[in-house]
Amino acid sequence: MSTDNNASDTVETVTVNNKTSGFKVRATSNLAMAIAATLSGYLISATPVQAAVNIPTDSAPSPLCIAGSCATEFTAKMLMFEEFGTKDISSSTSSISTHSSYTTTDCFGNVDGPALDKFLSEDLTSIPSRKSDVDDSGKPTTEHNPWEAKVKSCLPATVSLPSMPLDGRPGGEDFAHQRWSEFPTQVAFQSAQAGARVNGGLRDKRQLHDYKKGEFGPNGLYYMDANGDGIPGTEGIQIKIHPNLPTQKPQSVWTFDGTLPPKLLMAKYGEAILFRHYNALPLDPGSNGGFGKNTITTHEHNGHNPAESDGFAHAYIYPGQFYDYHWPMQLAGYDSINTDKSDARTGAPDGNGGITRVRGDWHETMSTHWFHDHMLDYTAQNVYKGNAAMMNYYSAIDRGREPADAQDVLGRPDLQGVPQKPGYGCHYNNPNNANLCLPSGSNMDWGNRDYDVNLVVADKAWDNTGQLKFNIFNTDGFLGDRATVNWEYKPFLDVRARRYRFRILDGSVSRFFKLALVRERPLTDTICKVASSKIILAPARPVTTITPAEPAKCYEKITYHMIANDGNIMQHAIPFPNAASPDALPEQSIAERFDIVVDFGGMPAGTKLYMVNILEHTTGAGPARYLPLADVLGTKYKNDGVSGDPVVGKILEFRVQNYTGTDFSMNPADYVEGKKQMIPLNRPTQTELKAATQRTFVFGKKAVADTQPWTIATDDGVALNADPHRISAAPTTGATEIWHISGGTGGWSHPVHVHFEEGQILYRGGKAPPIWEKYARKDVYRIGALADTGGSVDVAIRFREFAGTYVEHCHNTQHEDKAMLLRWDLQNPGQTQAINTPMPDWDGVKYDPSTYLSTAKFGDLAAKKKFVLPAGLLP
Amino acid sequence: MKAYRVANYLRTLLLICAMLMFGTTLVWAAPEGSPWGKDYFPNIELVDQDGRKLHFYDDLVKDKVVVIDFIFTHCGDTCPAQTASLTKVYKLLANRMGKDIFFYSISIDPKHDTPKVLKDYAEKFNTGAGWLFLTGKTDDVTLLRQKLGLYRTGVDAAKLNEHKTSFMIGNDATGQWIKRSPFDKPQVLAGLVGRSISRSPDDKKENLADYSESTVIPKLSKGEDLFRSRCESCHSLGTEDGIGPGLLNVTERRDRAWLARWIKTPDKLLAKKDPIAMALFKQYKKVIMPNFRLRDAEVEALLIYMETNGKATQPDDSNK
Repeated sequence: MSTDNNASDTVETVTVNNKTSGFKVRATSNLAMAIAATLSGYLISATPVQAAVNIPTDSAPSPLCIAGSCATEFTAKMLMFEEFGTKDISSSTSSISTHSSYTTTDCFGNVDGPALDKFLSEDLTSIPSRKSDVDDSGKPTTEHNPWEAKVKSCLPATVSLPSMPLDGRPGGEDFAHQRWSEFPTQVAFQSAQAGARVNGGLRDKRQLHDYKKGEFGPNGLYYMDANGDGIPGTEGIQIKIHPNLPTQKPQSVWTFDGTLPPKLLMAKYGEAILFRHYNALPLDPGSNGGFGKNTITTHEHNGHNPAESDGFAHAYIYPGQFYDYHWPMQLAGYDSINTDKSDARTGAPDGNGGITRVRGDWHETMSTHWFHDHMLDYTAQNVYKGNAAMMNYYSAIDRGREPADAQDVLGRPDLQGVPQKPGYGCHYNNPNNANLCLPSGSNMDWGNRDYDVNLVVADKAWDNTGQLKFNIFNTDGFLGDRATVNWEYKPFLDVRARRYRFRILDGSVSRFFKLALVRERPLTDTICKVASSKIILAPARPVTTITPAEPAKCYEKITYHMIANDGNIMQHAIPFPNAASPDALPEQSIAERFDIVVDFGGMPAGTKLYMVNILEHTTGAGPARYLPLADVLGTKYKNDGVSGDPVVGKILEFRVQNYTGTDFSMNPADYVEGKKQMIPLNRPTQTELKAATQRTFVFGKKAVADTQPWTIATDDGVALNADPHRISAAPTTGATEIWHISGGTGGWSHPVHVHFEEGQILYRGGKAPPIWEKYARKDVYRIGALADTGGSVDVAIRFREFAGTYVEHCHNTQHEDKAMLLRWDLQNPGQTQAINTPMPDWDGVKYDPSTYLSTAKFGDLAAKKKFVLPAGLLP
Repeated sequence: MKAYRVANYLRTLLLICAMLMFGTTLVWAAPEGSPWGKDYFPNIELVDQDGRKLHFYDDLVKDKVVVIDFIFTHCGDTCPAQTASLTKVYKLLANRMGKDIFFYSISIDPKHDTPKVLKDYAEKFNTGAGWLFLTGKTDDVTLLRQKLGLYRTGVDAAKLNEHKTSFMIGNDATGQWIKRSPFDKPQVLAGLVGRSISRSPDDKKENLADYSESTVIPKLSKGEDLFRSRCESCHSLGTEDGIGPGLLNVTERRDRAWLARWIKTPDKLLAKKDPIAMALFKQYKKVIMPNFRLRDAEVEALLIYMETNGKATQPDDSNK
């Protein structure tokens, strides 16, 4: 441990970039601003001294020292995601008659933690039903919101309301679970969205690794005994952005269970999930620390889920209520492809080295998702506040199980050569094997996370007392001034000297990242002395001018591979850096997920690597420019919050530790373009595309009178604000469509997200998409000014299996909340009646009629006439 | 933690006392811990259309539900649209206006917009209790616009016309603030102000359908959508006048080409002193019809919509 400290001290003194260690530079900059303000007097302070950056947005810097306790970078150990842990549904509803009550302690969201844990650890209190207002035998549901009396005492204006139901899902057929008996729930879990509290160990016994195996076991890197009582687990963890910063209050952070670590749902294909999400947020809407709305709806981002379980922005629940989300976990193409389950690659881990086959198209296999709040007008505030979790999908292809040994690689053949564990056999060894054998670990049949790490990167800001803050008035976007990974301020992560998979999610409100990965080397290393495009000297200067005495470092741009874009494994692994993106990964906007494989193999213990953000923002409207990596690592770029963006620079430190095992995981270099294929892209055919309905969506401003707030113009129509009643597009289930998404001029960038189905990019900026999108299935389509993005995206989307009310919106959630969102309904062939618009209230959900845009059914005919299909790529 | 609970307990007691004192309305100033209270908002002095001096936070915002927008009275396009839209919302909330809900339209051109000018402007829009038109020092107002997120850096100072037309809806008691646009549906806005952000115990619920009743939904033509979002706040399709004339049979009463020009560029027709335009301008309290920068196709869609929907169904009515 002491050597570790010494090592990090060395880094502190020699690393020449943003060694602001926050506080000193902050102090100077504050002082400078104060002097300037004094000199210029009141009039000018009304229009404040123009800093080059407005970060944190319209707000003072977040202090790194509070009451003498200081947070410094790379001193907090990164938190690993904590599994929700699902229960078999039969056991989960077996004893529904006995359960403890679900109570809150007051109007202000101070939850009785142990009571909540007890409640959540028990079985579901009622059997989930297809409709929310009647059970599956047709008997009306009568359960009341258990907080009804409390609600009426805390909110006197609700006293006259007749009744308050417990189930907050809209009733009747419109929001009934689709294909309910066809996809019976197999596993269930419940959580409550609640104010920050100490982790009570609710999920300690629900981790697949059980804190016994591999790196999560007693001798592993990620073993956890947070309260030091000898019983492993997260019990005792408080919500702190750094161990030296104050604990967050229940009004400041709202998250799943109300606890850290951030939560992860591990799901298998073919195993339908029931998620009962309780709302345990403050009854008093003002007990929110200045931001956050106490009504919520939960969107599983890019899930192939029926609309009633998609988290529609206007199907939200009140405190005390729950909503049952039913996620069937079926592959797209279920109705039309591999319906006899004949394809051996299409399946899920069976728990014993085999594959449980499922229907559908294995080319549609998805891997890395997240779910988060989607409350109309308040998504930004609620997600920033903590209403976000990640979700890993496990399949035959992506099982989370690498080979333990050479026999596993072959599928453990018997004497006759017949594989006994075909699910373990690696595709790299035999193309008939499904398992790609991505880095993960091998102690369990599936879902090993020893070397498969979820990372959520996000910028945050806090007030002078250390409580999370947010500016609700600046709707151009909100930027925090502190980088966090998995909720910790610039943490470090111990890694073994072997291959890792990182599932990186941008969980910010408005911030885009462009992440580089560099290995730090002592200048004495030979590699530092040879001029190369892979080597960065910091500060940059000719190699010959460096004297041996100089305690400087050089940084090596190591090669790593992107294997999945937006959580979908691509046809080929894409090496980075590459000619099209020489310093870092591509721009990664809010909600985009990049899965990368990094090989730390061969690096001596003690080696440090850094994840470095080189994308500068000056405002929340969109990113400003890519910075040269050398400027960021050197002294040239000042990330001091005054002249430069404080979230530019190193955000995560990797510390390499010895690895004694043998790494049998797949080498992504074998899967680059021209070599083996991971998941071949199932491209739409010319015939499909020629028949496709086409639609245009223009994000941003249109005419002068429409400048504010954010709008979307559909199919050459009027630029419109969000209205949950209005159906702007109504594709038919089973169809393929082409959507033209454009806008993002004048410095604005918009990460456009289409719910339900991912698409394939036909053109970006009118040209063939870059290599990392060429083989990708995307669900976030960035439009904007910078090189990786451009002003337009044309995308082909297939709509299958389910129907109902979905949305499309800008995932800069401040733009989304200020009306850059539209509703589209997926309709069954021949459907004439549309889904009505749910209008939730404390006393239940009623419906308002919906309206259509005139173009909703057939789209933009003129655009279709004009559009030229790309020739080269398609079959 | 314990101390915090005690504090909250005391607060609950206080709340109960407050409830006993004031009946069933929830009353407290910006909640404990909310950054959006008197420390955030500048307590600047403003003057209303009747010449009363008022402080922004203490007199106008504290404990109230407010809608705040920024206007200037000689603004051609956007301000009348803003004000007309709010007029609709005002009507829907009339029984609570001036009691717990207040509208404030604050001038960004104080030099021109004296209380007298603002009073004339208010009268054009038939505003009533609880809607104040305010002016103040330019720098103060600028600061306020910045604080409310309604200031566009760089552009604003020079061009009044480029000002943000959005408005803020706020409830000081709960510390909730949200930005909306004048192009939102008045019913939606009224629901937001009167229900989502500030429920009142004597609110009557609108007639929403039970889930058992489902209806075939109407299709919105481009023209109807334009009419609803751009025209409806001033015009009905019947005989009833709003801020502008009722438009029953307007496509028959007026020459089509003229009507198209009037819809597309009302400012130009007025500048050229077109006689019909001038007459309308005078008749309707000199409220300028906004130029919404509509394209020809959009004007055409509006005309078609008015032709098909703005006709009397009874033959008798068309003679009126």
